Amino acid sequence: MRRLTSLLLLAATLALTAPAVAQVRAPDGAPNPTASSVNEEMLFKQDPKIHGRISIPNATAANLIQPQGREWREFRESWMPWIGGLAVLGMIAALGLFYFTRGRIRLEHSEESGKKILRFNSFERFSHWMTASCFIVLSLSGLNYIFGKRLLMPLIGPEAFATLAQYGKYAHIYLAWPFMLGVLFMLVLWVRDNIPGRIDWIWLKQGGGLLGDAHPSAGRFNAGQKMVFWMVVGFGLAMGATGIMMIFPFAATDINGMQVMQVIHSLIGVVFIAGILAHIYIGSLGMEGAYDAMGSGEVDLAWAKVHHDLWVKEQQAKTASGPQLGRGQVPAE
Amino acid sequence: MKAFLVAVAAAVVLATAASFLLAENQRFAYQAFATSGARVSDPGTNLVGPRWTGDIKEPASASHKMEAGS
Repeated sequence: MRRLTSLLLLAATLALTAPAVAQVRAPDGAPNPTASSVNEEMLFKQDPKIHGRISIPNATAANLIQPQGREWREFRESWMPWIGGLAVLGMIAALGLFYFTRGRIRLEHSEESGKKILRFNSFERFSHWMTASCFIVLSLSGLNYIFGKRLLMPLIGPEAFATLAQYGKYAHIYLAWPFMLGVLFMLVLWVRDNIPGRIDWIWLKQGGGLLGDAHPSAGRFNAGQKMVFWMVVGFGLAMGATGIMMIFPFAATDINGMQVMQVIHSLIGVVFIAGILAHIYIGSLGMEGAYDAMGSGEVDLAWAKVHHDLWVKEQQAKTASGPQLGRGQVPAE
Repeated sequence: MKAFLVAVAAAVVLATAASFLLAENQRFAYQAFATSGARVSDPGTNLVGPRWTGDIKEPASASHKMEAGS
């Protein structure tokens, strides 16, 4: 009797479940035995990552699928080249337009032309050039991460590109350290002279003398230079922090955190390059006499009085014998 | 110009020092993930060859095998 009851129950169960099983078929009508098995969608409902158990000590290897990685790759391969290209080429185009419409800002000669005033001492110039030379290599090797395989590899071939990219990567990782040190040096050296004040607002309202013929008053650094300073300090520290998190993987954050760091690093990087292109332009081609400040360290007194009048007065007040003279400089008669 | 040249030289020296410090801090996966219970072999000689060329029968490894066999 008990056996009969069991058989009847089994038959009833099969009768109830059979139609359901029979309905699970592939699109072509063939039976699909794995249709009800665990799939990716079901796993993602339980956890944002798909991971398993592994026996090797590298715990990070247990991750099988991390969906944010697809979004990061999409950003890096699709969006980043356009953002980078627009930022860098856009700035070059804007500077070219500015040069051809406004022209080079010429040195205005006066009776004080020829006299020199020390603008940056040796250590200031050293700090600037160490940071700048590292920045150029970091920029080129950084742009190579985005554009190298697209623009350079078709020109020089995969073997040469692989070698170049490898040495570019070494340069990027190792020159980052003197760059960060240089940013810290400049922060300590110049922070006091870069505190924004009311005079900067007036300078900005007058277009900094770039748009017209007026030369608004400025201290040691004008509002434009202060913006470059804070950009270099802010972006430099941000690039350093995000870069260190990538140089030491998993030390401070997980794989998703490192992807976020890479996005921030690359976005700031291209804006940083664009900003420094403007800085290079105005410090060399854009303004006559400006390069001398970081070249020899001494600038023409006439130039200094036009562009940094308040600073010149401050310096002259410090010395009873008139303007500061550079090493071995004799006032022009 | 002098400040520029000194700055470039300092950058190279600091970068070289950073390369040595970072190398000190870094270990190959076969070193990092080997434990007392799991020996991870050096992939530099058993998968891609000592020069990462894919040729695992280069003179160095061949002579090493001969020595091991004798």
